[in-house]
Amino acid sequence: MPALSRLKKLRKPLKKLRLRKKREKTLLEAYQNRLIESLKELRIPLLLLHFSLSVGTIGYMILSGGNFIDSIYMTVITIGTIGFGEIAKGSETPMGRIFTTFLSLMGIGVFTTSVTVVVRVFLVGDLVNLVKYIRMLSSIEKLRDHVIICGYNRTSAWLIEPLKKRKLEFVVIDHREEAIKYIQMHNIKYFIPEEPYKKTALTSAGIERARYLIANMESEAENIAVIVTARLLRPNKEDLLIYSTAPTDGSAKKLEELGANKVIVPDKLVANRVFSYMLHETRGFVSDLFDRIAYGEEAELEIVELKVREGSPIVGKFLKDLDLRKTYGVTVIGIRKEGGALELTISGDTKIEDGDTLLILGKPVSVKKAVEFYKEVLR
Amino acid sequence: MKLKKITTDFFLLMALSTNISFIFGPNPYELVITVIANLTATILKLGEGRILATEMTAASLVADLHLIPAAFIYFLGDVDEAVSLAIGALAVNIISILLSIIEAIFGYLSEE
Repeated sequence: MPALSRLKKLRKPLKKLRLRKKREKTLLEAYQNRLIESLKELRIPLLLLHFSLSVGTIGYMILSGGNFIDSIYMTVITIGTIGFGEIAKGSETPMGRIFTTFLSLMGIGVFTTSVTVVVRVFLVGDLVNLVKYIRMLSSIEKLRDHVIICGYNRTSAWLIEPLKKRKLEFVVIDHREEAIKYIQMHNIKYFIPEEPYKKTALTSAGIERARYLIANMESEAENIAVIVTARLLRPNKEDLLIYSTAPTDGSAKKLEELGANKVIVPDKLVANRVFSYMLHETRGFVSDLFDRIAYGEEAELEIVELKVREGSPIVGKFLKDLDLRKTYGVTVIGIRKEGGALELTISGDTKIEDGDTLLILGKPVSVKKAVEFYKEVLR
Repeated sequence: MKLKKITTDFFLLMALSTNISFIFGPNPYELVITVIANLTATILKLGEGRILATEMTAASLVADLHLIPAAFIYFLGDVDEAVSLAIGALAVNIISILLSIIEAIFGYLSEE
């Protein structure tokens, strides 16, 4: 057959085409497929119900001489155990009664079983959860500049409090049953119950549009896996800021080399903070004022770092020219120079230079306004 | 030969053939058989994850939504309206058959 041999010839190029176009499914697609596949369970009960209804309707139509509406009505009231009476013509005849007897024997069982299965699939099965996940994943697709938290533990639970306060959207990824239990208990809006180091999980969490990623897994190996996968998807360190924790300085350095922007050693951080209290003894309020401002614990004040963009029009201007204090109610408290030196003795006559980073202090609303206005020249 | 495909295609073709015969000579039994065959084909396609399954399920559902009202309208007396609805269902049924053929060809080509 020439047509068949021509079709066979097409196999190879088609295979190549399929291989080239093959891509990993997103979680949303995977869940949608699972939802569609779970509808398979409905097939047999629906087919049985459909069969009973069809047999009943055609049977009564033959008995009544083709009255469809009465026939389907009679079938439904018979197999639905309503039994209003012999409504369809011909159903009161001996032949009709024999037919109704067999239809009831077959149909009533089928009807109750089918209804039970359908209700079970919709209410007890995975269907409701799947619909919930699909909705959540669709909402995650709309998020921009959000935070992705990989691993849910006590640190993550502490972290989400200020995030909620600042109205920053976040997505938690964790696959451990225990973590999922706490995530549901803590009423987390967006979460993905998958391994955080999977490409699909990070893509579904919207890594392409996220601003921050927190690798907060139980083990260092898992943190490495998360950081490396995230950096493969978003290589630029300035686009996606990755923060993580490590048990020692050595591992922290390793994680930073692998792609994390900053890695915190919790024990060291606690020790430093304890020492700062010791250093200032009774003046505890002053000693941790900057910490509290930086950590966002001081609701009235906020401090931000803004880097002057290369070739920006404000380069070469004096601070008094910007007049930030009068216009926005914010103060430049320091300038970090390109080399890393911190200049704190600044005044209105301080000149802004290329590569400077301005430390701006003020009320959160004022800081936000100033940042918004200068977003073209500062970042 | 796949038993599943034979069954689904049987009901698809059955729906198409009775649909055509109903249009050319309106008969109550033909219409009811068309509805039954179409609904069976729809149920058989539920939860299918093959190539073009989405399009086939959608086409089948559209045909059902034409034929079920057609059945009620026919028995309420408006034969012309029922026939025109059946013509609409026929268009969708033809598309269903075409999709089924395309799916068969793709299945054959991608076979190992």
